[in-house]
Amino acid sequence: MKRYECLKSLASMLGPKVIVVTNIGPISREWNALRPSDANLLQINLGLCAAVGMGVAVSLPNRQVVLLDGDGNLLLNLASLADLANQNLKNLVHIVLDNESYEGGGGLKSATAGRADLAAIARGAGVQNANVARTVEQFDGAARQSLANPGHHFIVAKVEKGSVEKLPALTLDGKEAKYRFARYIESSEGVQILRPRYTHI
Amino acid sequence: MEAAAVDAVVDGLKKSGVDFISLMPDSDFSILQERVANDKDFTYVPVSNEAIGVGVCAGAWLSGKRPALLVPTSGLLVAAWPLTSLCMAWGLPLLLLIPYRGDIGDAFWLMGPYKDTTEPLLKVLNAPYSVIAKTEEISKAIIDAQGSTISWQRPVAVLLTGETIK
Repeated sequence: MKRYECLKSLASMLGPKVIVVTNIGPISREWNALRPSDANLLQINLGLCAAVGMGVAVSLPNRQVVLLDGDGNLLLNLASLADLANQNLKNLVHIVLDNESYEGGGGLKSATAGRADLAAIARGAGVQNANVARTVEQFDGAARQSLANPGHHFIVAKVEKGSVEKLPALTLDGKEAKYRFARYIESSEGVQILRPRYTHI
Repeated sequence: MEAAAVDAVVDGLKKSGVDFISLMPDSDFSILQERVANDKDFTYVPVSNEAIGVGVCAGAWLSGKRPALLVPTSGLLVAAWPLTSLCMAWGLPLLLLIPYRGDIGDAFWLMGPYKDTTEPLLKVLNAPYSVIAKTEEISKAIIDAQGSTISWQRPVAVLLTGETIK
């Protein structure tokens, strides 16, 4: 199963207001090609996708939040699974595109190429809805079911290494990403994030 | 930490508009942590390490919250990496509230190294800080730090020492 096929299937399911947080590397580039949107928060650095996504999902309980995580990314901060589970979120679909390697970092194997089972780890951390998809059809079904039912869902998509050719360049850096996402939240949620009136002296 | 200092911290947090708190349980802040955990004015997100806490606060701020991270001097070292890869690289604000274990006068030998790491690390991380030793100065220091972190779009820390953490 190719990661791009999973993401293409997912992109076709999401409404424009679904917030998507992705880890840095090929997942961000592929997702940006498939669903360019200011509702995306792309290129979250290694180990922090679940943490940043937790902050978003907790802060915006009325918005559906999808995390596009990687196996290496999640493995670096596995405790975030336990912290996420304890939030009892109703608005989170956490997808791990598990290619059993550090593809963005040269391609060496990750622990999931060995004995580590992220779905089992998630269940052990307290995530009740944890599933594994090995075909695009399985992924499509699991994603649709997760998006249709409030809760905290966790899907491990076992994908091949490798991306697609001729992806558009992702020219966004973190500072521009911050302004674009924050402005989008300001307009869609009616809140002020940037430069609020604040007098402290 | 005495009740007056806890009151002063909560007062400063509320007056500065902080509405979201993340922390990893820590003995020096345990009374304060319990207080904010049970205060409905704060969205409370406990985490299992301080790196996760920085990430949670970053996501919260980008989503319209005004977060603060309660972080011990040891945990600041754990938090250093996301303070770099998120706060420095993205230009994100974050109020850091730190019980300054290892400051001069802290007799526990194990805390000694944090005198060497804490302030230099904050400087390297481009995070201005104030060191507060008097309980009556806590609230204003937090209000000032929150105003500065929002304005400057980088982390700002308040280090609590002396009588404030006794």
